[in-house]
Amino acid sequence: MKVRLSLAAAVFSVLAAPASSHTLYILPSHFVISTDSSWITADISAANMTFQPDKGVSVANFRLHLPDGSVQQAAGSHQGKRKAMVDVELSAEGTYRLELGGPARYFTSYQLNGERKRLQADKTERAASLPAGAENIQTTQSRSKAISYITLKQPTTTVITPRGEGLELVTSLHPADIVAGEPLAITLLLDGKAQAGVALELSFDGENYRDDAMRVLAATDNHGQFTYTPASAGRYLLEARYNADVATTRADRISEGLTWSFEVALP
Amino acid sequence: MKKAAMLPLLLGLSSPLLASQMTITVEIPQLEAAQYYRPYIAVWIENEQQQPVKLLAIWQQKPDWLKDLRRFWRKTGRSDSALVDAMTGATRGPGSYQLSWDGLDNEANKVAAGNYVLFVEAAREQGGRSLQRQPFSWDNSAVTLQQAAEPELGQLTVTIK
Repeated sequence: MKVRLSLAAAVFSVLAAPASSHTLYILPSHFVISTDSSWITADISAANMTFQPDKGVSVANFRLHLPDGSVQQAAGSHQGKRKAMVDVELSAEGTYRLELGGPARYFTSYQLNGERKRLQADKTERAASLPAGAENIQTTQSRSKAISYITLKQPTTTVITPRGEGLELVTSLHPADIVAGEPLAITLLLDGKAQAGVALELSFDGENYRDDAMRVLAATDNHGQFTYTPASAGRYLLEARYNADVATTRADRISEGLTWSFEVALP
Repeated sequence: MKKAAMLPLLLGLSSPLLASQMTITVEIPQLEAAQYYRPYIAVWIENEQQQPVKLLAIWQQKPDWLKDLRRFWRKTGRSDSALVDAMTGATRGPGSYQLSWDGLDNEANKVAAGNYVLFVEAAREQGGRSLQRQPFSWDNSAVTLQQAAEPELGQLTVTIK
């Protein structure tokens, strides 16, 4: 029952799930294309094991960002039980971003007679809905996205340039240039500024076929940076999460999440 | 440092550098496979900064699989289609093939004396991928270098005279 509830929540609100739940990701069939145009299929799922599809989530908030900066929806999609799939056609040279996002969501948690409860409301709305006697009231602004990059022929930078909104990342190497054995510096930005203390979890494909998942847990340093040298080629997933107290008109706390699927190429 | 500073001068004057010639012997092995497709093969030279300076051969057929020559694709294939088109040759079957290099880069300029790496990359449909890397000094000294066979490539022999 619990599983069904959280799945329903994920389907409706896409990336609303708290940090402890399944990880949402988007995984393209190809990261690198050498033809003038090509169809790509991407899997969208929420899972505990990296790239092992578990819960099919809604594709409603899927967008394809083209090398020229324009944005499209999926050309086709299928909603599966374990994963959703989107089809996109890439017909221009350059780097594309696949993104599953959506607007920030607000929920207010409170305690009533010793019981923890939650409702969907921001700080300006919550007074109308909170029952009398509610204590320990806290409103959280939650926003998450899952991204991945595909490059058709020559890499471009339009879609990897930060927009200055929410949690984003910039990398020392273009996503199409990440190679086993070469250090990769990843900088996490919050609203366009380098953010220290972002919790990171780095994992790679095939966890269910080895005893040790070999995940790397880290946090960004004072420059918002984390450097990692992938030992082997393959498909990797970076999960970033940043929680902090704030005092805005709509929230007491923010929870920002970002997951990035990327390919480490053979040297 | 001193040597590097003098290089442009040397290059302008020295005829010995002009005389150097590299001969490369690439081998495509005979492989037992239920369905054998000829491999895609690229042969090129990079400088010490890992930048491609000279494409010597690209044997390929369809752009779809060019990306499977992973390093070649990153270094040259994706960014210089004119060069790829100009250098493209038909795929080859098992055998021994000779290539030569006269010390000129892709723009037909003489390369500076120094350290370089010769790369041979092979990728076969329903097969594997192999990469041979042979470092060498381009400084007018004669040498013969060899790289052991890889699954998709036989022994590589490089002779500089």
